[in-house]
Amino acid sequence: MPLTLAPLDRRFVTVLRWRAAVAALIVLVVCGIGEAILYRQGWPNGIAGAVAIAIALWLVGIAPPRRFVHWGFALDERELHIAHGWLTRVHTIVPIGRVQHIDLTQGPIERGCGVATLVLHTAGTDHSLVTVPGLAREQAEMVRDRIRTAIEASPW
Amino acid sequence: MNEGPRRLHPGTIVLRIVTKAPQQVAGLVALAAATSRSGTEVMFGIVAALMIGAGLFTWIRWRSFTYTIADGALTIADGVLQRKRRSIPFERIQDVSIDQKLLARPFGLARVRIETGGGEADEATLDSVTLSEAARLRAVLRGAVPSVAVDAAAEGPARDVVFAMSPRRVLTMGMFGFSLVWVGLLFAGLNQVGDVIGWNWIDVRDWAGVARQEAMALATPLFAAMAAVVAVLVGAISGVLRTLLVEHGFRLEREGDRLRRVRGLATRTEIVLSLRRVQLALIERGMVSGRLGWAGLRLQTLGGSDDACGRQSVAPFAREDEVARVLAAAGYAPFDPLPLRPVAFGHVLRTGLVRGGLPLIGVIVAMVFLPLAGLALLLVPIPVVLAVLARRRHRYAIVGDTLQVTRGVLSKQVWIVPLARIQAVSVRRSVLQRLLGLATVHVDTAGAKGLGRPNIVDVAIDDAERLAATLLR
Repeated sequence: MPLTLAPLDRRFVTVLRWRAAVAALIVLVVCGIGEAILYRQGWPNGIAGAVAIAIALWLVGIAPPRRFVHWGFALDERELHIAHGWLTRVHTIVPIGRVQHIDLTQGPIERGCGVATLVLHTAGTDHSLVTVPGLAREQAEMVRDRIRTAIEASPW
Repeated sequence: MNEGPRRLHPGTIVLRIVTKAPQQVAGLVALAAATSRSGTEVMFGIVAALMIGAGLFTWIRWRSFTYTIADGALTIADGVLQRKRRSIPFERIQDVSIDQKLLARPFGLARVRIETGGGEADEATLDSVTLSEAARLRAVLRGAVPSVAVDAAAEGPARDVVFAMSPRRVLTMGMFGFSLVWVGLLFAGLNQVGDVIGWNWIDVRDWAGVARQEAMALATPLFAAMAAVVAVLVGAISGVLRTLLVEHGFRLEREGDRLRRVRGLATRTEIVLSLRRVQLALIERGMVSGRLGWAGLRLQTLGGSDDACGRQSVAPFAREDEVARVLAAAGYAPFDPLPLRPVAFGHVLRTGLVRGGLPLIGVIVAMVFLPLAGLALLLVPIPVVLAVLARRRHRYAIVGDTLQVTRGVLSKQVWIVPLARIQAVSVRRSVLQRLLGLATVHVDTAGAKGLGRPNIVDVAIDDAERLAATLLR
């Protein structure tokens, strides 16, 4: 695409970190139980725990910034571009005229970090929901309003 | 155009009792068995009371169901204890389909389904009304005529038959409908039934008339050959029967900007497609029948419809020129494969690696344990050849204002998607694709879930980006 995608709000990394932390906690708990069982059996302990801590560190420390780097977003007069994906890279283009309606959502973590997720509904089946996470609240509202005026103006 | 509340046809009561009878008979038998000790009179009394009760209940349900056409909306009131009213404005009605089940046909009744495009739960069903009332309802709900002009609706605008299938054509189609799935089902079914009626394959072998000991040597290959013949016969016959049941009397008519399709032997279904709501055309050629010049055409429409996944068969078994005629009726240009170009050469590498690579690893691992498994290496060229063919057959181009995509080695598909119907486009690159400099362009359209999307797999990255941009211009 000729146009360059802008990165999302930096605070989105924190959101990703918190979400990863929840997943990491689950991994830690599961491995903690595993560790306890291993200990009872008289097996060498520390293996499951080490693996769990490595996974947790990777999830919380390393993965979020890398995933963040691959998120990109751009809005011009006709289309909304959104790119994401670290291993499989996905670049989605939604013509603004095809947007059926728009939601602005904010989960508890997002609220704490001051970012919001924009959800575009289209009539399609694969992309009936196109989400743009990690926009600053004000920016998300601005984008929503721009899309709304574009929808109203479009003859569709 | 207001009118008072109407009820369904009273014949519905009989129809419902008859359709529910099989379920109730089991219950009645159980009940009769339970009460038989207290004497036949009591037993018959209870059974009769229950039957009358069921009849009465059906009647009350029928009485409580009304539909009203007023103020530009269809209002359906339902429920005995808990009343429920639902109002569907005419402009929200996407499609009105009529079908006639086998039982409903002697009564001259039909079921009307009103589709609102909001999924299954939002659908309204009027089960059942007379055929003429069904036709009137459809005319009124589509806003074609004011509700007063009842007779005008029956005649309707001029129709011309776009495509029809003679019984001979249906039979030919049935021949190609040969499917081993049905054979498998039948054999599985026989196994199940065999346990119940004490008839199984061992007995069949005994019935062959040879003493068991001698039979073992002879009968096993004989039996296998017999089973194969039976399987082929069953497959062919079931294919013909199934096709006959569904496609008998297939007729596609065009009236104004709508296509009307009637088909079916036992259950006659009639659906109407609004051409404005057609999203794409899909031409399919079977493995054998396609090579003999037969093709099927389906149109994908928005919202719910009779078929699964919103793709309506409008010419299930047709020659090239007939497909072109139906396409023309739907406002599409005939398909011309010439301007289409194949996807990148990397497609061969990637399909070869993905399809052939994993089995290859499996074979090599097996060879470690069992050297004979090395014979399977002889099969390796198959995925390679398939990969080469897959790239030759997977072509795409933007022709006029449509995107055209072909795909498929054994059975072939052609998609024709008007650019205006593309809802979103996304370019995906997996790890392997990035190594090979490829990308897949996903084309999202409205109205159909599941497989069979007009996606373009493995084009060069630059081409993919240019294509994505052009698709949405």
